[in-house]
Amino acid sequence: MSFTEKHEEISKQEWMDRLNSLHISRADMNRLIMNYLVTGEFSSGSSEGFKEAAEKFRVEAGIPMNMDTESLDERIKIRDAIQKGEIEEAMALVNNLHPELLDDNRYLYFHLQQQHLIELIRKKDVEGALQYAQTHLAERGEENADVLNELEKTLALLAFENPEDSPFGELLHPSQRQKVASELNSAILEVENRESTPKLANMLKLLLWAQHELDQKKVKYPHMTDLAKGEIEDPK
Amino acid sequence: MLMDTSDMICDTYPGEMVGREYMENLYGEDMDRVLHSVVKLKNAVIGNNKQKFHMMSLGVVARLLEFIQNERAAVGLRTESAIVLGSLAKGSQANVKRLVDSGVVPILLQCLNNSNLKFVEGCLRCLRSIFTSQAAPVELLYTDPGVVPHMLDIVSQSPTTQECVCSILAQCCKTSEHQGLLYSNGVIESLAPLLASKMYKVQMPALRVFCVITYMNQIVSSAVAAASVAERPLPDLLVELCLRDKSVEMQMSSAKCLTYMCRANALSSQDSKIVYKALPTLIRMCKKDRTLEERVEGAETLAYLIEVDLELQRIASYSDHLIPTLSEFLRYPSTQTTVMDLKRLDYDMKHSHELKAAALMAFASLGANDEDIRKKIIETENLMDHVVCGLSDPVVRVRLAAVRCLHSLSRSVQQLRTSFQDHAVWKPLMKLLQNADDDMLTVASSTLCNLLLEFSPSKEPMLESGAVDLLCDLTKRDDPALRLNGIWALMNMAFQVETKNMAFQAEQKVKSQILAALGTDQLFKLLSDPDVNVLMKTLGLLRNLLSNKPHIDHIMGMHGQQIMQAIVLILEGEHTIEVKEQTLCILANISDGTTAKDFIMANDDVLKKITNYMIHANVRLQIAATFCISNLVWNEEEGALERQMKLRDMGVQKLLQQLLSSSDTVLFDKVKTALQQFT
Repeated sequence: MSFTEKHEEISKQEWMDRLNSLHISRADMNRLIMNYLVTGEFSSGSSEGFKEAAEKFRVEAGIPMNMDTESLDERIKIRDAIQKGEIEEAMALVNNLHPELLDDNRYLYFHLQQQHLIELIRKKDVEGALQYAQTHLAERGEENADVLNELEKTLALLAFENPEDSPFGELLHPSQRQKVASELNSAILEVENRESTPKLANMLKLLLWAQHELDQKKVKYPHMTDLAKGEIEDPK
Repeated sequence: MLMDTSDMICDTYPGEMVGREYMENLYGEDMDRVLHSVVKLKNAVIGNNKQKFHMMSLGVVARLLEFIQNERAAVGLRTESAIVLGSLAKGSQANVKRLVDSGVVPILLQCLNNSNLKFVEGCLRCLRSIFTSQAAPVELLYTDPGVVPHMLDIVSQSPTTQECVCSILAQCCKTSEHQGLLYSNGVIESLAPLLASKMYKVQMPALRVFCVITYMNQIVSSAVAAASVAERPLPDLLVELCLRDKSVEMQMSSAKCLTYMCRANALSSQDSKIVYKALPTLIRMCKKDRTLEERVEGAETLAYLIEVDLELQRIASYSDHLIPTLSEFLRYPSTQTTVMDLKRLDYDMKHSHELKAAALMAFASLGANDEDIRKKIIETENLMDHVVCGLSDPVVRVRLAAVRCLHSLSRSVQQLRTSFQDHAVWKPLMKLLQNADDDMLTVASSTLCNLLLEFSPSKEPMLESGAVDLLCDLTKRDDPALRLNGIWALMNMAFQVETKNMAFQAEQKVKSQILAALGTDQLFKLLSDPDVNVLMKTLGLLRNLLSNKPHIDHIMGMHGQQIMQAIVLILEGEHTIEVKEQTLCILANISDGTTAKDFIMANDDVLKKITNYMIHANVRLQIAATFCISNLVWNEEEGALERQMKLRDMGVQKLLQQLLSSSDTVLFDKVKTALQQFT
């Protein structure tokens, strides 16, 4: 360790040379991509699409079949059920796959029940909604004060002629279904001891963190500012 | 999150009709429909405590148990039934108790013999939920001796079996018999590989098992220390689980396991795994950023780890601000406490006494052997006040911890003379002694003993608050440790510091009070106590009682006969050198008195014994005997001439001249002094 801090200046060329001297195997990259395709957030497009892509990729890249895809089918079915608003179907599927999950995650269970309630409200089944709330959701409110809050918001929708235009209208938005589906998916992955974020995401976070650390120490080096393009700029 | 909702039965419960329907369908002929109903039932009760309670009230458990036990029923039906029971076990505590009362446990344990994995997993999950609840019927696990071996057999079949078996065993190993049973069934071999599992929910319960089996068990601890996983020694694996990238509970449990192994002598206290891993981890667990439960567990385990090792005490005392950190426990909650949320704060307020007790225990261990550490502890701001407060805390756990702490600190002579005076520790201590159970009594009386070592004005009030009677009572107890403490404390009480001449009156009062309270009968009974330590301290007491001229004459005047009798008995009996020496010293003290001298001179038997001891093989006895003679012939005393004559006739002077050839300087001096007295 030197006593004085020398801030070395490094040129972009030198930096690129150093980077290029590092070897990342193709197999590792393929696994990262595979992991991304089968994990966590299926952002856009149908899940079936992702699954097909994953399977094709797997075959093309010659990646051996592993645990990553084990519950994929079920998780896709569950997500699909939620996207269609068939919450009770989704709950039955989860109970089949992991019977302890909803018992152990009461808050998640509440969100599923809440979603079912929202679907009933969407269909304008007022009586059904009230009965469901009374039978199933009153108990949830006793357990948790946050739940009571969210429950009240949901039930308030019933007071409006056009609930979509009410202050809580976002609950009827398809993105709400998305939220619940993601929450459930993460919980399932956690129970299966899998990470719910793709490793690729972690790697990018690591990159950003490393750059931040260097910036803190006032080191001058070529930054990667556009992650999507992966391009490295000249040092400033 | 499993909340304990109240099991209120609502008369107009909307689900009632539905519940009855479910029940009816369970009794159908069509097995497919029955299975379908069980699945519907499952979906109804998962996540719903009220439904769980409701269905149980309708008697669903009995029907499900029928399916489960029926070997001819379809395995799918049996499995789903087990899963439903598993869900019922995740309800309120009252629910779980009802399940247990319905006889679910023995049946499920029996079903573990089945060959279908999914079915077994369903049963195991239910059992795990039951055994990890407050209503856990631990003994039921051991009723059938085949159960535990079988569980260890099937443990490696799947992650679920791993997780559940470990969780169950971790909760049910409560006694050394249980430990022995698990050990003889190969628990170490079966579960060690699980410590290296990639799944946290398997690793953590496995680690807990190793904690409970090593606790105070040398055989198991040694076996664990010698075990290995894939050629890595198990202790190394445990150290890995201590690292900071692991969860807090994992770090705590692995540090605990290493601690237990160290205390059970399976790991040296100087082993780097203890000094550089377990100890610092436990100290870290005491930090402000940890929850109350973590800090309590950390401090208690730390106290246990360092309790009997000076080196560890030293290291701990200067590690990582431990002492200030622990003293924060005593001030909890303080202005420095960050309020996370109201519920948490409420819980913490109710449990702050646990923090106090844990800190006091840790201080007790820290200050057990080293004077510098004690000083550091006592000099910590307000600490002594907290200790003294602790002595009168409403919670017994805190009081006991405070006494232990005080006991450690009272081993410091310097502190006895200074801070203990200032803090009037004896008052709450006396109060404690009055209503103490045996554990408390042992430690508290030891502490009192130490406190009484040093002459102080506070002895007077101690007398007035009944210390003497209390201590005399202790000398009558069956437990030799208590008798010892009692007599030792009395001995210390009677010890007189020669320089305090103002103390004469007070000390006489103390001595008389002791003798009066103890009674000569009890005193002499103690002089024939089977425990040699008790005997030694009794002799010490006697010696202290007879330590200055006026006292000697006074006491011998009242009890001389009996005292002489007792002395003769001891000199004639089979006793150690130390005992004989003490006895001779008492004789020497008696011979220092004025009128008391007559008791010895008039007793030829005793005189003969003294002369024998003058030529005894052990020089310490010779010295004591010579000292006695020296006092008897002291020529400044009245009647010296007659005494010298008598002793000369007995050949004492000749003996003394013989002893001039002794190589022992102390003896030589005493002999010379004695000879000089003769005219």
